[in-house]
Amino acid sequence: MNVLKKIDSLVESYASWFLIFAVSGMLSLAILNIVLRWFSVTLLWVEPLIRHLVFLSAFMGGTLATGRRTHIGIDILGKYFESKNMMNAHAWVGRIISLVSFFTLVLLIKAGIDFAAVEAKYGKIVFLGIHGKYLVSIIPFGLSFIAYRFFYLFVSSWQQEVKDA
Amino acid sequence: MLEVISFSAIALFALLGTPLFIIMALAALTAFFFSEVELSAVAIEIYKISSQATILTIPLFTFAGYMMAESGSPKRLLRLADAALGWLPGGVAIVSLVICAFFTAFTGASGVTIIALGGLLYPILMNEEYSDKFSLGLITTSGSLGLLFPPSLPIILYGLVTGVDIDKLFLAGIVPGILLIIILSAWAIYNGKSLSSKGTLSLNKIWEAFRGCIWEAILPVAILYGIYSGKTTTTEAAAVTAFYVFIIEVFVYKDLRLTKDIPKIICDCMSLVGGILLILCCALGFTNYLVDEEIPTQLLELMRTYIDNKIVFLLFLNIFLLVVGALMDIFSAIIVVVPLIVPIAAEFDVHPVHLAIIFLTNLEIGYITPPVGINLFISSFRFERPITELYKASFPFLILLIGALIIVTYVPALSLWLVE
Repeated sequence: MNVLKKIDSLVESYASWFLIFAVSGMLSLAILNIVLRWFSVTLLWVEPLIRHLVFLSAFMGGTLATGRRTHIGIDILGKYFESKNMMNAHAWVGRIISLVSFFTLVLLIKAGIDFAAVEAKYGKIVFLGIHGKYLVSIIPFGLSFIAYRFFYLFVSSWQQEVKDA
Repeated sequence: MLEVISFSAIALFALLGTPLFIIMALAALTAFFFSEVELSAVAIEIYKISSQATILTIPLFTFAGYMMAESGSPKRLLRLADAALGWLPGGVAIVSLVICAFFTAFTGASGVTIIALGGLLYPILMNEEYSDKFSLGLITTSGSLGLLFPPSLPIILYGLVTGVDIDKLFLAGIVPGILLIIILSAWAIYNGKSLSSKGTLSLNKIWEAFRGCIWEAILPVAILYGIYSGKTTTTEAAAVTAFYVFIIEVFVYKDLRLTKDIPKIICDCMSLVGGILLILCCALGFTNYLVDEEIPTQLLELMRTYIDNKIVFLLFLNIFLLVVGALMDIFSAIIVVVPLIVPIAAEFDVHPVHLAIIFLTNLEIGYITPPVGINLFISSFRFERPITELYKASFPFLILLIGALIIVTYVPALSLWLVE
């Protein structure tokens, strides 16, 4: 269990550091682009690079939101159980959510890998010598981070129950 | 039959509180599976978002808003608003409305306004002898009040989903947004008229307060000027705003520390942005499937049997959106509901920009609509009050906002005046 917890902390840490660099990077590059425009200079790779930084940041931000349990959801029944202090039912709802989310993400990762394989076969270099297959691989890579956290949420929920008992 | 069971299970998972991006992904995977389309098509749809040119505006405007909310900016702007409006009967309440609208426009009504400003405004309102109920209701309502003002995140998201020009949406929201503030201000004046007068208008005091927050106070005007003078695109405006706020809060006012506060703010705001972008990514697949299956057309056909004119359609639309707003948060609603409504509204000759403002006003009201209006929960958490107390406190504001919604709906000129 300690190993799983350590991996979860590492995932959180990597996602946080990546986001700090990504936001600093996208901001600096966007400003650089504006400044260069004053001198009639355009770097064609800046815009797609920024867009892909945002794209990867979506997954890393989602990774943090998963750990903080702040994902946007409808959550009518969950809130109802919480308001009625039905903590056992609430805990089970949490487990079902983690499990459903984990398996859905596994399917999505598979879909992402398939897409990357197609891109590897038929794709081309997009910018800065980066092949499309690497850019598309952001999907399975980013989703793996989130999937692990849902897996850990599910596993750790049982440990929490043992502690409470 | 298997399809019905699958989609019913997905609906149940949604009600249980499964993250919406998972629900959208699951719905897309299920729909593609039953249509015998390769599941990698879902990944292709997810990847499409990386080609949206305006995608950068979402993280950068939110980052700017979060930096301002975490800095001393709320206090400085509050001082200015107090100097300019505090002398009016109900002035402190009006100040609260204006200042919350300002912050909500930048933070995208993510609850940050109530968390950041609630603790500041509540004692001030109580000190001015406003009732506890009025103060709570006002702060809860104000948490989403600036949604119609640029550069609000829901406006950008609406533009991204529908393809309506974001610059036009920014302009269209200004007059209806001001109308909402005026109506709530009138209520504040009514509630504040029996309170003792707070002194007179002092131009010196206003100037002093303005000097204290000049770098922040000019920001909304600067953004609008940049975009509408053609000097910057919306994306560039987002970059300049984030960079500008970063410089003034870290190096000019020195409210935020570069190595301690900024990394924390980045993680906080990106956790929200990541959640929104993931929904957007995953919803693209499912909504495209719905459009391919001509679901909006079928809904339109169904509607035509009961509704045959624009006025009734708008009434129906408002009731429907109020229910949506009471059950879903604004970001999910924009991504899920808007693609279904846009083609139907076009059939009833509703201008796409006007539809956007109606939609966003409804969802703004949804923030304080029981049972799950998100502001009610945030206030309940922030002020440690039972949720039912917040229901009662926000009720008069809810009624007033519905009144404003009727005006916004049936007077399209309010939304279209600046655009046209």
